[in-house]
Amino acid sequence: MGVPFEALIPYGIMLAMFGVTGAGLSKIRHMQNGGKRARHSVDQWDRVMMDRDRRLTGYLRGQTDNPSAPAGFELNNPWRVSR
Amino acid sequence: MSGRPARFNQATLIDTTPLPSDIPPVTEIGSSSAPLLSASFFIGARCKPYNDDFMQCKSESAGKGEVECLKEGRRVTRCARSVIEDVNKHCLEEFRKHWTCLDNNNQQLWQCRPAEWKLNKCVFNNLKLEKVIPDTPAGETPVHLKNRQTYSHHGP
Repeated sequence: MGVPFEALIPYGIMLAMFGVTGAGLSKIRHMQNGGKRARHSVDQWDRVMMDRDRRLTGYLRGQTDNPSAPAGFELNNPWRVSR
Repeated sequence: MSGRPARFNQATLIDTTPLPSDIPPVTEIGSSSAPLLSASFFIGARCKPYNDDFMQCKSESAGKGEVECLKEGRRVTRCARSVIEDVNKHCLEEFRKHWTCLDNNNQQLWQCRPAEWKLNKCVFNNLKLEKVIPDTPAGETPVHLKNRQTYSHHGP
């Protein structure tokens, strides 16, 4: 008496659906983060550093290891005003 | 620019007035968050006196530190910039591998220990800077020298 594999087909379908959704979401987050894994548990320090990265490179997840900042970096930190 | 994030802001203002000419200009550091985190302990090893001076000036000046501690701040920037230039000159490959790994791992140092050990060895051989975690209890291996990092993606 063999294993009743027809009874396991619905489980296989559910697993495949969850797997495809999870992989698709992960791929979308990968593409949104410039080819890197997404950041999680981002606190105020990380937000300020990511804002500085965007001012330096133009991308939120861009990184550079240049010792000198590009020209105009000292001036491009905006004051946030309420009007 | 205080620690509290802005609320209800609808516009930004960019002030392009340059600093007064009696303040010597110092180029800001152009490294972003991952290379700075990677080099942070080496900056601490070389620039400890300047950093301590700056922090003491800021805590003693009671709110006016942005204006009064500019000289100490310039010293901090120049010293950190010298560390990054030296690391770029001698250990560029290991440095780039380490901060690329950090960037992929949510800037968590404990996920990237193998790359960090190689970088530490290269920097110690060329620049004589050693990463030291202050206030490690005596008799215990510091956490960056342990063989096994629990919860990291790379297993024990």
